[in-house]
Amino acid sequence: MGRIALNDIRKSFGKTEVIHGVDLAVEDGELVVFVGPSGCGKSTLLRLIAGLDRPTSGTIEIDGADVTRHSAANRGLAMVFQSYALYPHMTVRQNLSFGLENTKMERAEIRRRIEDSARMLEIEELLDRRPTQLSGGQRQRVAIGRAIVREPSAFLLDEPLSNLDAELRVTMRAELAQLHERLGTTMIYVTHDQIEAMTLADRIVVLRKGRIEQVDTPLNLYNRPANLFVAGFIGAPNMNFFETTASDGRAELPGGLHIDVPQDGKITAGIRPQHLRLANREEEALEGTVTLVEALGAETVVHARALDGTAMVTVLSGQPNLGIGDAIRIALDRGEVHLFDAEGQRIDPS
Amino acid sequence: MSAASRFVFRRRGHGNRWHWTDVVTWIWLIGGTVLMFGPALWLVASSFKGPAQLAEFPPTLLPYTQITAQVEGYDDPLPLFTVTQEDGSTTILAEIRRIGTSAQMVDPDTPSERIDVDIENRAPLREVGLATENYVEPLVTNDFLRFLWNSVFVTVMATLITLLTNSMAAFALSKYRFAGRDAVMLLIVATLMVPLSVILVPLYSVVNATGLLNSLWGVILPTVATPTGVFLLRQYMLTIPDELLEAARMDNASEWQIYWRIVLPLAAPALAVLAIFSVVWRWNDFLWPLIVLSRRETYTLQVGLNTYAGELNVQWHYILAMTVVTMIPVVLVFVFLQRFITTGIAGAGIK
Repeated sequence: MGRIALNDIRKSFGKTEVIHGVDLAVEDGELVVFVGPSGCGKSTLLRLIAGLDRPTSGTIEIDGADVTRHSAANRGLAMVFQSYALYPHMTVRQNLSFGLENTKMERAEIRRRIEDSARMLEIEELLDRRPTQLSGGQRQRVAIGRAIVREPSAFLLDEPLSNLDAELRVTMRAELAQLHERLGTTMIYVTHDQIEAMTLADRIVVLRKGRIEQVDTPLNLYNRPANLFVAGFIGAPNMNFFETTASDGRAELPGGLHIDVPQDGKITAGIRPQHLRLANREEEALEGTVTLVEALGAETVVHARALDGTAMVTVLSGQPNLGIGDAIRIALDRGEVHLFDAEGQRIDPS
Repeated sequence: MSAASRFVFRRRGHGNRWHWTDVVTWIWLIGGTVLMFGPALWLVASSFKGPAQLAEFPPTLLPYTQITAQVEGYDDPLPLFTVTQEDGSTTILAEIRRIGTSAQMVDPDTPSERIDVDIENRAPLREVGLATENYVEPLVTNDFLRFLWNSVFVTVMATLITLLTNSMAAFALSKYRFAGRDAVMLLIVATLMVPLSVILVPLYSVVNATGLLNSLWGVILPTVATPTGVFLLRQYMLTIPDELLEAARMDNASEWQIYWRIVLPLAAPALAVLAIFSVVWRWNDFLWPLIVLSRRETYTLQVGLNTYAGELNVQWHYILAMTVVTMIPVVLVFVFLQRFITTGIAGAGIK
């Protein structure tokens, strides 16, 4: 079992409050990813759950029991650190057994668990080496192995892949997904990489400045971002935003393109670069000048400046014949437009 | 010519001629070697000389012993001398006794006949030999084995306790956050500026009051808390990542286990440096043991050495021999642990 609930968690370092009242429930067996820009408090939140730091106020429950005042050791969780934090003076085997020895577990059981997890992670032949003799990917496996042998009620992973090179990161990401599938244990995963978040998560928690912005499945985050921040953070390249003022249920975008809006006043219209296309001659369109063309082969990313100076990015399929300085007319599908009010909150079309 | 000798003897000058830098290098290196090793070699050579030879002027480089011969009619072996006769020829005679400027001598072949010789005309017959009694005498009859044991006991115990207490203090000061931590650290480092001579009298009162006078523990305990050690270890422990400690905490390790199984093994290079320092300090300590220890059976080597320097008579041959004995462990420590000294100081230094 590994149901984790956070109730109004606050954390201050001195006078600065870094977590401003977080409520969250993680279901048993769920893989939840904390994502957000650096300094958003995602690692701090993970450390609070782990018990390495104490919250200033609020309670943490694991399987219904209040563990807020329990020490890290007594919470039954295992953590994988960003730097792996393998004990450099111990062999891999000793690294794996250290936590089990401390719980006065029987030797036979320790050996069984180490062999099981070593087989699962394919690190059997590394057991008698020291961490300094391992490559980055191998260290990563050992760090995960050290968490697995504990058979915890939940895994906490703090940017576990950020020290690996790009290629290895992709493989390890797939392996982590498989591992979660096989173990079925709750995992909380911290990352700033939205691709990791999108591919791994059952649910994503988007954090900003110590507050939860939105909690939802990856596709819901992408399709229905709750506010401007989430809309801008999830998806690459970033969503285009056009600030405008609506009246009589209509708003005008640069270039004279009109969209229907359910409320008047200052609004922001957002549209993903993937949902823009080159306009036909007779269509209403966004007009601008090309400032940069990034040809990737299968698709082309076109950066342009609208007539009112707003930057916009378009992802066009194929290799259109465009150059810097060319005038460009871009059309959009009105169903793909996201609308946000003056406070940046999502407006659902009525 | 082998590669090694070619390497050593090659010169900068073209065509293997002498360049002035070659000359300077050779003079510098040879001079440096003499300067470094000269005193130590002189000490070792002199420690094998008898008292008479030590008083001799000009001094000899190598230790010599007087050749003696067993002469019929005399109980003890007699020293042999080369005597120059009036006609210029030389013979070897044994000396029975010396009276003023003349010596009563005897030919070992004709023991019944005594010859008076002016001491100007005789020179002692000697060969290179070691006066090993310089070593045997103090070690066997003058309790130096006892002193040696005391010194070893003081050094080993003091070093072990120093490492344990200093590493604990350093662990707390580097890895825990608590109010006044920096103030405590500052206070500890500040005690570096108080020399022993200033606190000698109060320290003596404390040791006296606790009944540790004339006990080896009275030498050991006041010296174990060293600010240098705490500072050195703390600086090193600051470089141990906190994540390792947190990982251990997640691994159900108690704070004691974290200290004993994680921090201590990782601080091994700094501990080695402190161990070397501590061994050398405690082994060479003189003033404090001299004050605490006044019973002969508790003397350490350094205090024991002092007993040979009396007010009227300094027994140089014993002092020199026992100084060599005293030096041996320190030299061994440096020979075998010098790797740690350099890497440790480089690693434990201020980063």
